[in-house]
Amino acid sequence: MNKNRLIFFGITAAISLLYVYMTWIFAPPDVVLGENIRIFFQHVAPALVAYGLFGGTLLCGLMYLWQGDLKYDIIGAVSIKLGLLFTTITLLSGMMWADAAWGTPWNWDPRETTTLILWIAYACILAYRASVSDREARAQFGSIFGIVAFPMVILSYLSIRIWNTLHPIVIEASGLQMEVEHMMTLLVAMIAVTMIALIMVELTYKVDSAQEKLMRIRMSRS
Amino acid sequence: MTSGLSAAIAIAKKDIIIQLRKKFEVFSMFLFALIAVLSFSFALVSQGSIPEDVGSAMLWVIIFFMGMFGFAPIFLSESETGTLRGLATAPIPAWSVYVGKVIYGFVLMGMVEIFLVPIISLLFGFSFLDNLPLTIAVLCVGTLDLAAVGAMASALTMPSEAKATVFPLVYFPTATSGLILLIEITKIIVLGPGLIPVMLLFEILLAHLIAMLTLSASVFHFALTP
Repeated sequence: MNKNRLIFFGITAAISLLYVYMTWIFAPPDVVLGENIRIFFQHVAPALVAYGLFGGTLLCGLMYLWQGDLKYDIIGAVSIKLGLLFTTITLLSGMMWADAAWGTPWNWDPRETTTLILWIAYACILAYRASVSDREARAQFGSIFGIVAFPMVILSYLSIRIWNTLHPIVIEASGLQMEVEHMMTLLVAMIAVTMIALIMVELTYKVDSAQEKLMRIRMSRS
Repeated sequence: MTSGLSAAIAIAKKDIIIQLRKKFEVFSMFLFALIAVLSFSFALVSQGSIPEDVGSAMLWVIIFFMGMFGFAPIFLSESETGTLRGLATAPIPAWSVYVGKVIYGFVLMGMVEIFLVPIISLLFGFSFLDNLPLTIAVLCVGTLDLAAVGAMASALTMPSEAKATVFPLVYFPTATSGLILLIEITKIIVLGPGLIPVMLLFEILLAHLIAMLTLSASVFHFALTP
């Protein structure tokens, strides 16, 4: 393991510990939500990172179509897998929060519904990719699919502004609408989850690239 | 640009003529829609009626599912008959092939919707007469949006081994965002002005259509070149 990577891992570990400390000890209970505010940090940070990962799929799709380099397709597929993982965390933590705040885990709130649709949509892209056996076609058509599916991400993000919803609008043009301690905790949570996601992207990319190489060796031998 | 558009219209015209010769596909789509109306009625009718907002929402759900019948063969038929290579090598821009298929999809769905919308409105007991111009605009933009998505979804299913199974998987993720907006707008038209301004939703739907058309048309040449 090279030195730079080791430093990055160290910083991520330190910020992750700070994230745990700030979430569970530093952040004071909310006036309305009480102790349940702690779920908020486990909910918002993965949600924004998931949006970022799906945005990564869009960018990788464009890059693959432009340059034809298979590494962009592999990173795009990795972004979908990890985006799904973070969306799952978002949905589960959201359900816990909804149960505590609104008395039921699922309310068919526009944000909940569009996030579930987003999960299904990107799972569909993975299923589609698996159904195309030709590697080049999978990369080419999978990239196009990743690009045209992106409007769903925008709709999911904007859903709380378009529809009447139970979700509070936290991120305004004027800044974050919350207490300073909560704002600081959310910022640290965002940095920690983003760094963890980047490490996961790199590791998964390596595994998938190795699998790709292995597959090519097997095919050339057979 | 003009030659590209005339090529698109020529492709659409060719597909519409083929479709009119076959006849049974449009009729099958119409029958499928009626079967869907009946199936939903078993679950939704309570004391002889369906709430207006639910009925109007079901209209788009039925059109959405009907689209699976109509849009799936758009490129698959070209692929199966071997004419796709001809389209790919024709001296026309790739986007005009896509736009031609979108126009064809729009006309195909429109032919069924002309009969379907009044029937569903009658059976499910809701009326669009309060705002007819907006209803027509929403039906046109909505159908065009679904056609834009459906044509792209059909093109994406070409390299797949399980084409019939995969089409809904491609169609659903790309069409749902438009479908949600269409259902919401139609509900507001039927029930009257709500908390959300209907024009805002219509503008978002229009933006969605433009985004889907632009994104799809700009990457479509990659779908035509193997």
